[in-house]
Amino acid sequence: MSKAILEVTGLRKDFSQFLGLLAKLTGETRVIPAVDGVSFYLRENETVGLVGESGCGKTTIGRTVLRLTDPSSGRIVFDGRDITHLSRAELRPLRREMQMIFQDLDAGLNPAMRVRDILREALTVHERPGDAEIASRIRELLEQVNLKESKLANFPSELSGGEKRRVGIARVLAVRPRLIVADEPTSALDISIQAQVVNLMRDLQKHLGLTYLFISHDLPVVELVSDKVAVMYLGRIVEMGLADDIAHRPRHPYTKILWASLADKQSMEASRRVHDVPVEAERRAWGAYDFEQPSGGCRFAPRCPLYQQQGRPAVCTDPASEPALRDAGKGHVVACHFA
Amino acid sequence: MSETLLAIENLRTYFYSRAKRAFIRSVDGVSLSVERGKTLGVVGESGSGKTVTALSAAGLVTASPGVIGGTITLRSNGSARNVLDGLERYVHAEEEDGRVVAVEKDERGWRRRSEALLAGVRGKEIAMIFQNPRAALNPYSTVGSQLVETIRLHTSFRGRGEAKERAIHWLERVRIDSPRLRFDNFPFGMSGGMCQRAMLAMALSAEPSLLIADEPTTGLDATIQSRIVDLLAELKAETAVATILISHDISVIQRLSDRVAVMYGGTVVETGRVDEVLAPEVEARHPYTAALLASIPNAETIRRKSYLQAIEGDVLDTIDVPRGCRFYGRCNRVKEAIRERCAGLEPPLAEVTPGHKIRCWLYPASANTAQKP
Repeated sequence: MSKAILEVTGLRKDFSQFLGLLAKLTGETRVIPAVDGVSFYLRENETVGLVGESGCGKTTIGRTVLRLTDPSSGRIVFDGRDITHLSRAELRPLRREMQMIFQDLDAGLNPAMRVRDILREALTVHERPGDAEIASRIRELLEQVNLKESKLANFPSELSGGEKRRVGIARVLAVRPRLIVADEPTSALDISIQAQVVNLMRDLQKHLGLTYLFISHDLPVVELVSDKVAVMYLGRIVEMGLADDIAHRPRHPYTKILWASLADKQSMEASRRVHDVPVEAERRAWGAYDFEQPSGGCRFAPRCPLYQQQGRPAVCTDPASEPALRDAGKGHVVACHFA
Repeated sequence: MSETLLAIENLRTYFYSRAKRAFIRSVDGVSLSVERGKTLGVVGESGSGKTVTALSAAGLVTASPGVIGGTITLRSNGSARNVLDGLERYVHAEEEDGRVVAVEKDERGWRRRSEALLAGVRGKEIAMIFQNPRAALNPYSTVGSQLVETIRLHTSFRGRGEAKERAIHWLERVRIDSPRLRFDNFPFGMSGGMCQRAMLAMALSAEPSLLIADEPTTGLDATIQSRIVDLLAELKAETAVATILISHDISVIQRLSDRVAVMYGGTVVETGRVDEVLAPEVEARHPYTAALLASIPNAETIRRKSYLQAIEGDVLDTIDVPRGCRFYGRCNRVKEAIRERCAGLEPPLAEVTPGHKIRCWLYPASANTAQKP
């Protein structure tokens, strides 16, 4: 088994909320923990999928593990080295080993630069290759991402969505990274182009030995590309395990609902079956968790069908017993008192 | 046989791109129809013309030259009216080899005529909900007051009090909890799913005969998406409002539609009953529809961790529209015997079985239709 390339322990990232000038003067603050004590690891050459609804902290995790934003607490170990507190200068040589693909197709593509110059810049950030080498590396990159050479003279605005994504990936590959955090890499693309990009990313992983942290809300795609999947709810991982187990043998009620919502869209029966709760009761319970006035215990309890079924057990809302991840066998972990 | 509510015939909506000095043929000869109380699903990728078709039907195209040809007939209250009636007076299109090369349009005259034809139709007979509900709601006024405005304008509930009761009734019907409290909420205080529900309440409160839902679930979270789809299904059964549902999410289309139209490059390439077009075991199918369905991960591809069957090439931009079939460049089912025709001549949308039409030279019906005058 290959070794862990990234190890994250107890990661926490708080964002402070702006409460107005008066609060600022009086020093009143309120923090929202976007990521609240998350631990996971990635082995070399594997893909971990990170799923959850918007606002659950997926992207913040991606940005924090690359140190694009500083963690509030916790530990990030990249390739055996603790990078949690490295300075900008110390991080610089590591930047080439860890890269990010952003959801926004235009991110990282300077609109005033031609594709050739965008790639040239990426190639010369960390080293000073000669012109001949640059030319051959550009050709190699184009081949890797399957882009026509004629596109080199184009500006980003002249490219289609799929081509922009390919240039974005080529730009990332230019520094020969080992770990890539891909934040919703397909969601801005058309369906027929999504499949091309998913195939491309899997090809690159195979040939270049890349490791992916694959953040997406597209569950079938995540299940397809990932070895392991972590499911997040409001800043915490509530379940993690092999992709197949998470998709087909989920334990946590939230994971069940998430995957069921797929089948759900297709038929009402599936929808009814899954929720299995009187519609009225569920509708009342469907209030979102309030970060500002956190209820105690499990964050999912207000929406949880299992909580209702069990007759609202006190342990679910007991502030002293927020469920921790526990082993459910085969590396499958779940944070629920009853699952 | 149920009655046709809205029939779009040979609609053309073009835009002029100054940068490219060429027309963007967003909608290029689209014919669609919706039956009373039924749902027509329109599937297609971005740039296929699905949204522009809907905007044209609602008279909401503002860019130039916009709608330049076709008819849109709405049958309601026992009468039929073409909301593009008299268009030819304002538009002069110059054609070369059957293709529009220049358009002269009296925009002001056309707009005046169009607004007159649409009075009492847009918002009343045809209501729309959009992909981004928050952008469609007025941020400066409460959800309740926006609903009351619609209700007083379009229904017989003219008094403030009765309109308010009616508004709360609609908030309840779209399953917004504590509707009396939500009535006084501003859009920013509500979640995306809740805004979409409010939008839907506003659209339906005018008691339209046709609802155009443009990507109603896109951009919402997975669990919320399925709630909105459930709601649309329930409302469809309750109100019998006919719907044009535009989405790129095939599962949503499958669940809610009676008939489906698949669009590609500004034209309809296949149309038929949902089970004829999108069911997995169907044989007669446009190569684009088939490829689209194959490019989505299914249980089998996931289990075997196999590659997705991607459609090669890029989505057609509707500026350089090819002579022949618009899908020719990406099609994997071109046979030598028909290659020349595929490349040089656009196939007609021909009936393969009653009600199921496909625009492809692979199906003999196309050849027969083409030979007819």
